[in-house]
Amino acid sequence: MLPFTSSGSKVTPRHHVSGYSNGYPRGSTFDISPHRFQPRGTASAYRSRRTQSFVRLAAVAAVLFLLILLSWSGSSALSIFSLGLLAHDQGFQLETTRYYDLSNVQGTARGWEREERILLCVPLRDAEAHLPMFFSHLRNFTYPHHLIDVAFLVSDSKDRTLEVLVEKMEEIQASEDDKMPFGEISIIEKDFGQVVNQDVESRHGFAAQAGRRKLMARARNWLLSAALRPYHSWVYWRDVDVETAPFTILEDLMRHNKDVIVPNVWRPLPEWLGGEQPYDLNSWQESETALALADTLDEDAVIVEGYAEYATWRPHLAYLRDPYGDPDMEMELDGVGGVSILAKAKVFRYGVHFPAFSFEKHAETEGFGKMARRMEFSVVGLPHYTIWHTYEPSVDDIKHMEQMEREKLAQEQAEKEKAEKAMKLKESFGDATGQWEKDKSDMQHIALEEKKETAAEAGAKNKAAAGEAEGEAEDKTGDKVIAGKDGEKDRKT
Amino acid sequence: MARPMGPVRLKKTSPATLAVGAALCIFILYFLIGSSSPDFSASRKATAAAHHLSPPTSPFRRSTGGGKPKPPPVARYNLNNVTITPDPLENRENILLLTPMARFYPEYWDNLLRLSYPHELITLGFILPKTKEGNTATTELQKRITKTQKYGPEKDRFKSIIILREDFEPPLSSQDESERHKMHNQKIRRAAMAKSRNSLLFSTLGPSTSWVFWLDADVVETPPSIIQDLARHDKPVVAPNCFQRYWNAEKKEMDERPYDFNNWQDSPNAQELAKQMGPDDILLEGYAEMATFRSLMAYMHRDDGHRHEEVPLDGVGGAALLVKADVHRDGAMFPAFPFYHLIETEGFAKMAKRLGWQPVGLPNYKVYHYNE
Repeated sequence: MLPFTSSGSKVTPRHHVSGYSNGYPRGSTFDISPHRFQPRGTASAYRSRRTQSFVRLAAVAAVLFLLILLSWSGSSALSIFSLGLLAHDQGFQLETTRYYDLSNVQGTARGWEREERILLCVPLRDAEAHLPMFFSHLRNFTYPHHLIDVAFLVSDSKDRTLEVLVEKMEEIQASEDDKMPFGEISIIEKDFGQVVNQDVESRHGFAAQAGRRKLMARARNWLLSAALRPYHSWVYWRDVDVETAPFTILEDLMRHNKDVIVPNVWRPLPEWLGGEQPYDLNSWQESETALALADTLDEDAVIVEGYAEYATWRPHLAYLRDPYGDPDMEMELDGVGGVSILAKAKVFRYGVHFPAFSFEKHAETEGFGKMARRMEFSVVGLPHYTIWHTYEPSVDDIKHMEQMEREKLAQEQAEKEKAEKAMKLKESFGDATGQWEKDKSDMQHIALEEKKETAAEAGAKNKAAAGEAEGEAEDKTGDKVIAGKDGEKDRKT
Repeated sequence: MARPMGPVRLKKTSPATLAVGAALCIFILYFLIGSSSPDFSASRKATAAAHHLSPPTSPFRRSTGGGKPKPPPVARYNLNNVTITPDPLENRENILLLTPMARFYPEYWDNLLRLSYPHELITLGFILPKTKEGNTATTELQKRITKTQKYGPEKDRFKSIIILREDFEPPLSSQDESERHKMHNQKIRRAAMAKSRNSLLFSTLGPSTSWVFWLDADVVETPPSIIQDLARHDKPVVAPNCFQRYWNAEKKEMDERPYDFNNWQDSPNAQELAKQMGPDDILLEGYAEMATFRSLMAYMHRDDGHRHEEVPLDGVGGAALLVKADVHRDGAMFPAFPFYHLIETEGFAKMAKRLGWQPVGLPNYKVYHYNE
């Protein structure tokens, strides 16, 4: 509303208005006119001054308020200027609540298409030597790397396992190649106070098995419980000392869509031991004999497979391998080995774990298989799909190999000595031959001279010829001995 | 109204309007900032994970909006340094408070807010079924969470909160008291409950938890210092006594009665019963058809008894239970199958014992169950 109309007067003081009477402002002019009508719009100087000071006060108050707000909330000034809209771009915002629907992470046969996340669990102990090989496997996995979360448990290690691990993993995460970095990487340290020796003999000795397996089980459970997340669909257990495995192993196992699945595990051997051998004897089907045996044992006993002490007569996955068999063939199992296990995450979420106590007379991975069966999960093995464990020679093997090495060395030594002897012999005979030749020529010379002297002295000439023949014969015998020794060496090697 | 032949007045902004505008701006700013970023102290920010692929027991920095997302960092956790001591407050140990929830009781949440243990060390984990009832409960729960985590004072806000939804069909549609306690329904119901508890536990435990505190959604009253009080005992598994307040019509006053009968000491009778059972049968407590003659902690309560008196237990209930994280890490879980003829929390006690951890109960330390 215009000030004129609000004044209530219909009489417009056309010539006396100081302001906009002619349509444009004349703010700078000053008109002294005592009888002039003062419209309401031009407030008194006093009032205008009062409002202005009020505005200033309000502005100061506003700034103060903002400052107080700032200092009180501890928020950065930046978030004020960006009106909080950019707050999360700046990384200032904390999210404290997470919501997950577990029915979205059930695990299907074609997980890589449905972006299903896998947790790769690797228990480690003094494994520095195997790490380069393991990382080459890790880099080569064909399953999308960003969908694989990797968790390591390093326990009771006296070598540089941890340092090498961190270094190699950071290298992968910083890789230029977009397809190389993995998802969440957790490196977990926990020492269990390992009492059992880690060398092959004590590791696989029968007496040590129960305690060792229970300890391994604890380690596995600690790793899993610290690393399993609500967004995992699958869990893959992999030993660090696998030498050869297909790069597509995750997809290959996943395709079967089983709750728990293991491949066959063999190991290569040196020629003199037969070239190859079943390695993992923990994957088996239950047998009547074993069940009967289990009933006779006390509550805490643990049946371990592959030892003469417990003859279980169970069908083993390892022994059923046919190198030309169908790699997709499945076999139902009750116990599984831990070298390479692919399981749906829900198996672990529902509580199946690696018993660190005697569960139905089994512990660790075999107990895991048993417990999974108890909860009616499918547990299968692939007898003709094989991965290869590294060959670590046993103490006997090492002894044997040392023996072989010693023999070989002794052999070489003997051979060398023989060769030297032969050389010496030859040299001396060679000299002798020279001497003989010289003597012969001398004698011939003398003989010729003598011949010239008397043709009747035929007896002396005959004697010289006989001596020459004898020398040649001796030479030949020496050669024969050396050849004989060579032949012997060939046979031995 | 015809405008008089006056000047076209370009209206001058009134200073009063300016002031009002400025004030409004401040309020808008305040709410923009206040609502979009619940601000946390520097110490809380320091413990936050850098990536959303991280243990859910810690909050995370929301991923940056623009640019290529960076791969998660290599995270190292030394579990040798995770302490579990009788004085968790002093050592700033992390608590994981787990609750399987079918219904949301506001009293439950109010009780949580009253806990005197520093909330910045408590992570809450919930698991709810995917039913209509579960959806309702989830909505109500989320409302309360938002209220606390976004608008509440910082001391009320918990370190982080995980809400899970079950991935299996609930065995029973009805959660009615009478239906729920029918004996033949018990095995199926408790097997499902066990799966629920395990799913919650093993997907949230993470590498930094020291204690796991199980608190049922229908436990509506606990002493505010319950975490410190139970931890003080320094026992692998500690169960307080669960009671229920009710209106005693005879005495014409509020009274209380024992509620949870799953805390017990074994008896020869029960073991004899178990021997005669098939491998898939389970022993249940609190049913006349199955007289076990076990000593129930519920009846060991004495009004004049010492509050911190301990008794060893062979079976525990899940109403309230403080467990050292190591016990769960070793593999002690809630069997969803008959384990020594026991299931769920009772089976858990047995499994803990098989792993060498002895549960204890506190008959004179009470928590209260909701009265339906």
